[in-house]
Amino acid sequence: MTVRTAPEPVVVDELITETADRLFGELCTHEAVQAAEDNGGAPDIWEAFCETGFDLIAVPEAAGGSGGTLAEAIEVLRLVGYHSAPIPAAENGILGGWLLAEAGLQRPDGLVTVVPPRVGSGLRMASDGRSASTGSSAGDGTAACKTDAGTGSCTIEIDNDGSARLSGTAERVPWARSAEAIVCICEYDGTSMVVSVPASECTITPLPNMAGEPRDTVSFDGATARAAPAPDGVDADALAQRGALSRVALMAGAIEKMCQLTVSYTNERVQFGRPVARFQAVQQHLVWAAQDAALVRMAAEIAAREATRGDAPFEIAAAKLVANQAAARATKACHQAHGAMGMTQEYPLHHFSRRLWSWRKEYGADAHWSAVLGEMATGVGAEGLYPLITSGTAALA
Amino acid sequence: MRFTPTELTGPELDLQAEVREFLASELPPGTHEPCLGMAADHDREFSAKMAARGWVGMALPSRWGGSDRTAVQRFIVVEEMLRWGAPVGHHWVADRQTGNVILKFGTDEQRERFLPPICRGELGFSIGMSEPDSGSDLASVSTRAERADDGWVVNGTKIWTSNAHMNDWFICLLRTAPMEDGNKHAGLSQFLIDLQSPGLEISPIPFLDGSHHFNEVTFHDVFVPDINVVGQPGMGWHQNTTEMAYERGGPDRWLSPFSTVEQLLREAAGTPMEDAVSGLFGELAARWWGIRNLSLSVARLIDEGEAPSVESALVKEMGTRYEQEVVEKLVQLIDEEYSPESESLFERLLAQCVVTFPGNTIRGGTIEILRSVASKGLEGLPA
Repeated sequence: MTVRTAPEPVVVDELITETADRLFGELCTHEAVQAAEDNGGAPDIWEAFCETGFDLIAVPEAAGGSGGTLAEAIEVLRLVGYHSAPIPAAENGILGGWLLAEAGLQRPDGLVTVVPPRVGSGLRMASDGRSASTGSSAGDGTAACKTDAGTGSCTIEIDNDGSARLSGTAERVPWARSAEAIVCICEYDGTSMVVSVPASECTITPLPNMAGEPRDTVSFDGATARAAPAPDGVDADALAQRGALSRVALMAGAIEKMCQLTVSYTNERVQFGRPVARFQAVQQHLVWAAQDAALVRMAAEIAAREATRGDAPFEIAAAKLVANQAAARATKACHQAHGAMGMTQEYPLHHFSRRLWSWRKEYGADAHWSAVLGEMATGVGAEGLYPLITSGTAALA
Repeated sequence: MRFTPTELTGPELDLQAEVREFLASELPPGTHEPCLGMAADHDREFSAKMAARGWVGMALPSRWGGSDRTAVQRFIVVEEMLRWGAPVGHHWVADRQTGNVILKFGTDEQRERFLPPICRGELGFSIGMSEPDSGSDLASVSTRAERADDGWVVNGTKIWTSNAHMNDWFICLLRTAPMEDGNKHAGLSQFLIDLQSPGLEISPIPFLDGSHHFNEVTFHDVFVPDINVVGQPGMGWHQNTTEMAYERGGPDRWLSPFSTVEQLLREAAGTPMEDAVSGLFGELAARWWGIRNLSLSVARLIDEGEAPSVESALVKEMGTRYEQEVVEKLVQLIDEEYSPESESLFERLLAQCVVTFPGNTIRGGTIEILRSVASKGLEGLPA
């Protein structure tokens, strides 16, 4: 009989969980998170975060990072979501920081953000309300090519010495207004290139997402930048997957906290002479939210585990789709259970629900990931469907 | 509440491969009509074949005929059987719960008498909980067992008794003392009753599609010897609650429509598939992946000595609703009307899902009762 072996376990140091939980627990009070929204950022929280080294977790030490595994970075992001910490932890670390390190580009002193690649082909509107151009991600072999940059489109020219010039706009770039460098990835002459643009070269127009987090419009206007080819496996698809994984982690934390708020509130709020949590109709909301919290956390942890080991296209796609759907259900259940109180700014539920509504749409909405998963499922065929569910990406080989 | 991710070990992956090989050779696709989850055909021969592999009562101790296997190993066997639509009906209840109850609360004599034949796949059990006036409020059961020489005399009626007409034994919750004010859980006891006992009458309650699963079981002065009392008289409620925990959270609560989905994919192969159809397969795979990992983590917790009753209730409530959602999505997708006697296996299975799956969120504790169980456990969540 063949003896199979299980892969090496992926372990996250408990100290990481404890440290991040304590840090955010102290700093990300309801008032502080509200203030960050009003002010468009929270430099003090970001600074304290950087002091722990978590800002560059999973970026190799050789590239100036803090080291650690992707799974550990994902655990930190889960806690960012759990505390609604108003900081660009994913953009600076496992997204932008990762791209710079992979391409061997210099990291600036200060915050790095990343232009989200185009994910999916659904209908989009530009932020000014006009239908956005779709752009093209294929290099045309000439000196200049048009590339996707968020929901906008821009043109890049790269010289042989790695200096580059960009024009056009990138939209919904997280925390661009606070960044030193804006990193993007594009196909250029058939090669994936990582491009790092100093923010000082760009015109940045603030725009909030539904949670009041910065998702700015960046006009390049001939900005000069540095470009370097990305190694194999680092391209727009890979960035889209990492970005999706980052959102799943944030969403897992937010749903869990939202669920805990709802359990507490419904056990304290008394109507008809008893806590409303005693009513079967309210219990339904609590149970459904708790299930979604458990489901998304499980999805995040397994996707992180597999992505730490190697490629995990199935797990990441499945996790993002599951998280998107769970966010829709859980926000509805938790708001309903809170009644009018949940609709106020003074009560913290909205820090989580509004973030979930935004994160749900970032790095791939439901239609995109179900299409990706659909190709995998129909590709393995009837006999392969259950093995895909039990073994994930390994069953695609 | 915490669901910790887990994954299969090397030996567990070996077992999974062994079960898949067994099924591919015993029930090659296209040669059998898949069953819809645990409402599976009763096939004593198939149960005996599984038992010969050590896959019935596998988590019971070898001293009593079991294989000393774990909850996770049982999970692996069960999920493969269910997703394949295998005819596991005959040994299902004994394997899932009655064996455990007898091991936990029974006497050595009962263990010797029941567990080895359960592990050989020989004994089919029915469960006697519901009565005409006792459904979700199970503590109100009124079928009485009264003291007699060397035993008890039972009178009353149990209903919704699945497969009593095919099974051998009946594990029953009966009232042995009147209901007390302020302690409605007292005075209940569990009994093992031979379904061939004189005075025991089994009459069918046809299922909505005319099929025969449910029965009414009436006791007319049925004598049950003392040696068939399980555990302590009066402790029936506690034992029954323990038993129900074994019912919850396993693959039988989320896999029932799998063979239907798989068959759609099989029948659709080779024809161009619309994006919505292809995307649905992707979505279903993702949801099953998530729920399976929650359910697997519950089995691992059991092996670690935990009693994950809240987690089990959450998985069962979610899983059974998901089963219905899967069917609804298929229904929305298919243009034609489908018949239970269609030439297409997929259409036959889908018709059967539509008609029988409303019961999935009722059997073994309604989702409303599960919500009460689970939400009480959520109160301890740190905020």
